[in-house]
Amino acid sequence: MTSRAVSYQRLMRQVAIALASVVLLVWTVFPFVWILLTSLKSPGDIISVPPTFIFTPTVDNYAALVVGEQRGQYASTRPDFPRYFLNSMIISMGAVALSVAAGIPAAYALARFKFPGKNALAFVLLSFRFVPFIAFVIPLYILYQRFGLYNTHAGLILAYQLITLPFTVWMLRSFFMEIPMEIQEAAKIDGCSWLGVLGRVILPLSAPGISVTVILGFMFCWNAFNYPLMLAGRQTFPVTVGAIQFISYEQVLWGQMAAATIVAALPQLLLSLMVQKYIVRGLTMGAVK
Amino acid sequence: MTTPRSRRRRRERFLPYLLLAPALILLVGMLYPFGLGIYYSLTSYWLQYPNRFRFVWFDNYVDLLGEPLFVRALEFTIGFTLVAVAVQVGLGLAVALFLHARIPGRSAIRALMLMPLMIPPVITALMWKIMMASTNAGILNYVLSFIGVDPINWFGSTQGAIVSVLIIDTWGNLPFVALILLGGLQAIPTEPYEAALVDGAGPVAMLRYVTLPLLSPFIVLAVTFRAMDSLRIFDVIYATTAGGPNDATTNLQIMAYQYSFQWYQMGKGMAQAIVLLLLVVMVSYLLMRLWNRASESTQ
Repeated sequence: MTSRAVSYQRLMRQVAIALASVVLLVWTVFPFVWILLTSLKSPGDIISVPPTFIFTPTVDNYAALVVGEQRGQYASTRPDFPRYFLNSMIISMGAVALSVAAGIPAAYALARFKFPGKNALAFVLLSFRFVPFIAFVIPLYILYQRFGLYNTHAGLILAYQLITLPFTVWMLRSFFMEIPMEIQEAAKIDGCSWLGVLGRVILPLSAPGISVTVILGFMFCWNAFNYPLMLAGRQTFPVTVGAIQFISYEQVLWGQMAAATIVAALPQLLLSLMVQKYIVRGLTMGAVK
Repeated sequence: MTTPRSRRRRRERFLPYLLLAPALILLVGMLYPFGLGIYYSLTSYWLQYPNRFRFVWFDNYVDLLGEPLFVRALEFTIGFTLVAVAVQVGLGLAVALFLHARIPGRSAIRALMLMPLMIPPVITALMWKIMMASTNAGILNYVLSFIGVDPINWFGSTQGAIVSVLIIDTWGNLPFVALILLGGLQAIPTEPYEAALVDGAGPVAMLRYVTLPLLSPFIVLAVTFRAMDSLRIFDVIYATTAGGPNDATTNLQIMAYQYSFQWYQMGKGMAQAIVLLLLVVMVSYLLMRLWNRASESTQ
């Protein structure tokens, strides 16, 4: 092979790599760019043929999200997005707080003690990752209607335990198991009770792991759509259910919907930067580290 | 007589259960509705007609077999899962191999790929719904018009709707597969490659005889998670096609939703939910066995 052929081959290789990188980048990022542009367009620009990249940006769509549609004829039925955002915050934080409070002692028990039924319990918790939500939401809907939990934050926080509790216990268990047994036994010899070991050794040492679990748990709650779709009402909708309210029989408010998707995705994008390294671990409940 | 030591030991025996108590209470709170649901699946529970409530044994399940929509929904559930898993794991493997080769800007691409992964699936669906507008005002149709494709009626035609759901689901989950497999690739030691190089293996043989066998536990893991999620896909379908057109994208979860929350036939809806659950259990059992075999063979 001549040296010219080799350098030609190397050039082709570099072109192929550059091309593949561009395709991957465009595929990943373009939808975000386009939705961001759409959210800054006036209704006329949104439906223009061909689609336009150059237009006078407007914040009308975001303003409409916050203070409501000023000129629209459907002002009375407009989605109350600030409330949905607040609902998402309340429900997600409540659900994570409850799961962490119940999950820390449970994860400690599963990580440190041997007792009958331990593996069965861990397996039951793991299997919640794979259940079809509809099998739970039908009886929950019936029970919630009966006991006044329908369309309440408390009811949703309880239902979200299906998402966060198994996740929290499995994640915390995997973090707790990483703490060497020797340190715990040393604390035990120094006179700590097992609860003391939890409070003085495990919790301080696994603080980063607990923060990761809290953030990821919050993100999974933020993403939840199907439970609140059935168990929430207009007063308790989170952003996910709120965002589809821009589609109605009368019209689709494309610009406001685009703005709503940006606002609904933003906390996730910011939080995922903080837990980058742990996202795969979280999504597989600790199976892949 | 009990010594302080044995008393402490007895206390220690109960400690795990004490620690587990709050979580167990919540767990019972989850399992109770589920048990109730199984019972409802054996009744003619119709929300609007409470006086028709009767225990009907397995009538709801038997009725499903004679229901054409159920057969189609079952077919779509399984068919979609097979195609989605094949496409996503295949492309995910390609992306992982690409990122594993030391290309410039790898960490930036890796970080950007987390974006589709972590936003709510229903938001992903709405984003694509905006891009997939059926006229030339839709950016996707506009871009495709440059390569001579006529405007596609993305959500309005049977095939278009199925392809749309597949594209949207793939956009959201390709990063998941790619990141799992990339993690797997980075865990493979260099020795097997060196040995293969000594034996004169080319890149293709390397991939076939070194990389893929050693990666297989990770591939099975990615397949498992994607299969479980594809069998139960709901958010994306609900927000884009709602199961249409003409029930083309109705899977078991959408069908059970329609029965129970549009027609309020809770008994029938619950029976469909249980069938889906059994399907999920069966598939997860098969994949678990495959995983055991894959991880044994690499050790």
